[in-house]
Amino acid sequence: MNWTSIRALIEKDVMLFFRNRFFALITIGALIMYIVIYFIMPSEVDETLRIGFFVDELPAEFTQELEAEGLEVYYADSVSDLKDAVLNAEVTAGFAFPPDFMNSLAGQSAPQVEVFFPSDLPQEAKDLYILLLKELSFTLVGQPLNIEFSEEVLGDDLVGQQIPLRDRMLPLIAVFVLMFETLGLANLISGEIEARTLQALLITPLRVRELFTGKSITGVGMAFLQALILIVITGGLSNQPVIILLALFLGALLATGIAFLLASSGSDLLGILAWGILAILILILPALGIIFPGTISNWAKLIPSYYLIDTVNRAINYGISNQQAVTNLVILLLIDVVFLWLGITALRRKIT
Amino acid sequence: MTNAIIADQLTYAYNQVLAVDHISFQVAEGEILSFLGPNGAGKTTTVKMLTGQLHPQEGEATLMGLDIVRDTERVQAQIGVCFEITNLYEQMSAEENLNLFARLFGAKDFDAEAALKRIGLDGRGKDRVETYSKGMKQRLMVARSLINKPSILFLDEPTEGLDPVSSETIRNVILEERERGATVFLTTHDMVEADKLSDRVAFIDQGVIAALDTPHNLKQQYGKRAIRAQVSSPDGSLVSKEIILDQPETAESMRDLFTGEQVVTIHSEEATLEDIFIQITGRGLAG
Repeated sequence: MNWTSIRALIEKDVMLFFRNRFFALITIGALIMYIVIYFIMPSEVDETLRIGFFVDELPAEFTQELEAEGLEVYYADSVSDLKDAVLNAEVTAGFAFPPDFMNSLAGQSAPQVEVFFPSDLPQEAKDLYILLLKELSFTLVGQPLNIEFSEEVLGDDLVGQQIPLRDRMLPLIAVFVLMFETLGLANLISGEIEARTLQALLITPLRVRELFTGKSITGVGMAFLQALILIVITGGLSNQPVIILLALFLGALLATGIAFLLASSGSDLLGILAWGILAILILILPALGIIFPGTISNWAKLIPSYYLIDTVNRAINYGISNQQAVTNLVILLLIDVVFLWLGITALRRKIT
Repeated sequence: MTNAIIADQLTYAYNQVLAVDHISFQVAEGEILSFLGPNGAGKTTTVKMLTGQLHPQEGEATLMGLDIVRDTERVQAQIGVCFEITNLYEQMSAEENLNLFARLFGAKDFDAEAALKRIGLDGRGKDRVETYSKGMKQRLMVARSLINKPSILFLDEPTEGLDPVSSETIRNVILEERERGATVFLTTHDMVEADKLSDRVAFIDQGVIAALDTPHNLKQQYGKRAIRAQVSSPDGSLVSKEIILDQPETAESMRDLFTGEQVVTIHSEEATLEDIFIQITGRGLAG
């Protein structure tokens, strides 16, 4: 290996990358944007559930029961005030009780309670509110349901310490930074093939293996550096930094392998963008499962980026056991080797 | 004199279409050999095989005694290649382009400024190549091919479509390189350029060498020299007359012309390489 040649190649690639205004702007701009978005998003999760009441009179036990269930009650001055509170998302549900609610309840008649929900409240939540109100009504009329519940939280009980959305999004953003780098690197290589500058490089004493070493170092270096900047600035390295750094490094290797594949398939910027965006969309799918739990099932494990996202997410947000981290990282390394081999083989065929 | 290039039965086909068909030739050290032929004749494929960009499917070639397939790296360290298509880093300056390749060749004493001055680009070294004209880019390509002081210089259509100044600069550099002792392998379909520069020319057509000799010998062998005169006829109109030189009856014809005719204009004619190419291959160089 001639490291002087490899170094010359790396310096040239970095210089050309930043002289391409589109990718330079997108790279730096996107990184700044991700960081800004992270800090704009709330750093805490408001766990309080607020509901609204319009009522003449309610016994103190009623509101005490509600507060005991973790609900905060807002008393509206009128029905229209209650509706406004629902529409403005000040409360998650509004209940308008009739003037003679308690008497009707005591007299075994059926009082009419109007319930207002915002349009985006899931049906399950609506049913829960109704059930809660019914249960409280039973209590008020002296007929509490005779059931005892014992509560057990499986895993860490996160009540009072819920993970803010921005931290749940951090693995997604980190993966996005890594994967976006594939577009830049693929475009750089594809541009060299198109302009036939690779032909000129390969007529010098530079060997193909040195060319790929140089390109790999450039790709891994740039992707890793960007992800590292993001994670350091957002404080993501405070938990299990070694595991996170290793995962990001392996993620950068994966991005480089994919970039080689993209460069061998696309013949110009548009081709690279078309294939690249498709690849990015697939690769970020596992991250959606973190932001929207329950939306992604086990098939996500077939997506190469799953082990990167899972490791980074668990290390940043929950803490991951060393055994699980090693398993994930070894699988990720194997995926990297496969993608790098595929990418280098395809690209080598194209340029030689 | 030893041979810098020995090509023996070189053959290459693209998808079963024969581009170069069992060609053999030698180029002596310090010689300028021009490959003349129309587009698609096999010139560039020959260059690619001789420079290690393509492996011959049949035959072999040695450059400075080294086999191009087995010793590609050692050969490539000693050759310079100026490609047919401009392949410079457009977003880098001329100096950055040259210095990059100097590092790849390990040419530590390379002076980019002097190299640019040699090809008439002094003062433009810090400008990005994307701002250059076609002629300037081609001159820069030639400068890049000289970075490692090559023993053999391959120039693939170096002056095609260039302005006269750029063409002349490149021709001068080629002659200077020959003076330095370099062997030059030039492909072109500019017969005037080939005639001016070459020690020998090879006509290549449809992948086959149709003729290979010095321009002078080719003209002697295939061409004709003639005297063309315009004489005044009795009715006052001009009549053109041609006397073929180097023939037994030439002397008598010349005497008749100057004694029996009223010569108005007279000039000599010599066959061009293109005439000879057409005569040998039955088609022109432009195609």
